[in-house]
Amino acid sequence: MRATSKLRELLGTGKTLFVPGCYNALSARILETVGFPAVYMTGYGTSLSLLGLPDAGLATMTEMHLNARYIANAVAVPVIADADNGYGNAIGVIRTVREYIQTGVAGIHLEDQAIPKRCGHVAGRRVIPIEEAVGKYRAADAIRRQIDPDFVLIARTDARGAHGGSLDEAIRRANAYLEAGADLAFVEGPTSVDEVRRVCKEVHGPVFYNQTGVSPRFSLEEMNALGIAVSIVPGATFRVTIQAVYDLARDLKERGPAAEAEFNERFKAHPLGNIHSFAGFDQVREWEEAYLPAEEMDKYTDSVGHQPVKR
Amino acid sequence: MRTTTRLRQMLKEPGIIVAPGAYDGFSARLIEAAGFRCVYMTGAGTAASHLGQPDLGLATLTEMANHAAHLASCVSLPVIADADTGYGNVLNVVRTVREYERAGVAGLHMEDQVAPKKCGHIAGKQIIPTQEFCDKIRAASEYRTDPDFVIIARTDARAVTSLDDAIDRGNRAAEAGADVIFVEAPQTDDEIQRVAREVKAPLLANMVQGGRTPAVKVAELERIGFKIVIFPAVCMAAAVPAMERSLQELKETGTDWHDGPVLSPMDIFRKVGFDWWHAIEEKFAPRS
Repeated sequence: MRATSKLRELLGTGKTLFVPGCYNALSARILETVGFPAVYMTGYGTSLSLLGLPDAGLATMTEMHLNARYIANAVAVPVIADADNGYGNAIGVIRTVREYIQTGVAGIHLEDQAIPKRCGHVAGRRVIPIEEAVGKYRAADAIRRQIDPDFVLIARTDARGAHGGSLDEAIRRANAYLEAGADLAFVEGPTSVDEVRRVCKEVHGPVFYNQTGVSPRFSLEEMNALGIAVSIVPGATFRVTIQAVYDLARDLKERGPAAEAEFNERFKAHPLGNIHSFAGFDQVREWEEAYLPAEEMDKYTDSVGHQPVKR
Repeated sequence: MRTTTRLRQMLKEPGIIVAPGAYDGFSARLIEAAGFRCVYMTGAGTAASHLGQPDLGLATLTEMANHAAHLASCVSLPVIADADTGYGNVLNVVRTVREYERAGVAGLHMEDQVAPKKCGHIAGKQIIPTQEFCDKIRAASEYRTDPDFVIIARTDARAVTSLDDAIDRGNRAAEAGADVIFVEAPQTDDEIQRVAREVKAPLLANMVQGGRTPAVKVAELERIGFKIVIFPAVCMAAAVPAMERSLQELKETGTDWHDGPVLSPMDIFRKVGFDWWHAIEEKFAPRS
């Protein structure tokens, strides 16, 4: 089954789909291993991990969709990817949707920010006029219908927190975008529980909720009760990476090689501590046994290092 | 010598720099083989050949910079590359300059169109305010890491506001740090003369066959004071009808062999550096 159809199925259960964010193929694989039925590619994390740059519209469409492609190729679960503002006007959006569909992701969100965009939880955002944004969603809808009607289109509005914006304006826009053809509406950055309640009540379609930054946190039960269709926690995985890498780096700096040796001992006890197996070497050996001449396998005899095993 | 330094020197020496437009590695090679001293990477040609799309601002910074790197690595000449609007605001401009420097080109031109941009010779262009444009040029010139990297400011104001505005923008961009000024698409010989007289900076002329600017020959452009002339379409305009003709012949005759000289695979490889690579192979990996 195509990833897009799989995501449609997950959306059809009527329960909140809880989707953590990944920022590269490795973090996506970890989320999949733990058992999440879908993963989300964060633009903030892509910009920071791939380029070392802030989420300020500096990552190009090429860089974003390449990262999306690597992630979609690394996992079997559907991927929802950040596509910023579609990288241009309605014409640019047509190319963007085409490119993202080709990456194999199951859906994207497109926002109504002016170019260049910035993170939805950092001040200084501006939105384009609603008429122009509606044109972009209509274009996105038309092109995905042509290529893959199951491709999921999430319309994000930044009108709540943008310069001169309001929650009323954001709700008005969310409804206009749903009417233009979006499958889900994503009101970015509500700042209180009451605001989220209003979004769920007044948006006439499935709601996509970004549980991060200035927005309140809910339990899964609470989100089910509110009627939220999808909820993402985009940044937790790259934050925990930053913390872990920083802590290890400090330890290496202070104590030298001993810190690495001790870390390795601790890591061996970790569920993913068998790193070569997690990386996929066992799978490679299985393929070799199935498809290469038998004498090729002699290379494992008396060869030093991790010996892949049959899974 | 770095190609940036060489282009700087060429700007200081007398004489006009003629830069035919390359749209891929092959055309860049042919420009060098024909004896030109500079290659121009056309954005319209990049979008058309690399993506098969029109020049409507669809090509990303990544695609343009990667393409520029391919051209710069297959010729030893300085390459001047089209960088459209700089792909955003001043922050994007700084990133663009860095990416183009890394790509190994000797200079770029950046214009005052609203993103997404359009080809300079088609209708419907919009421009940003002069001050915003000058800020982008200042950011580009301050944040280049190689001081010899050449920043060319292009204004598209002629078709949107007026020639007067275009000349004013040219002069203000030069004050903001642009090394060369490119007034896009003057529409008459008189307008070309006015640009040459009234813009107080080294000037680039854009000669596009079939475009909105009348054809002026290299010698005449040099005489009235232009420092660089680009011919963005020269290679692509020759290649497209030739490919169409050959495809038609294939359809009609059922073969691509024809009367007269044919190009063998080796003839083609020779034009893209076969002998150079072969010499290395002979020297370091001789066949037994």
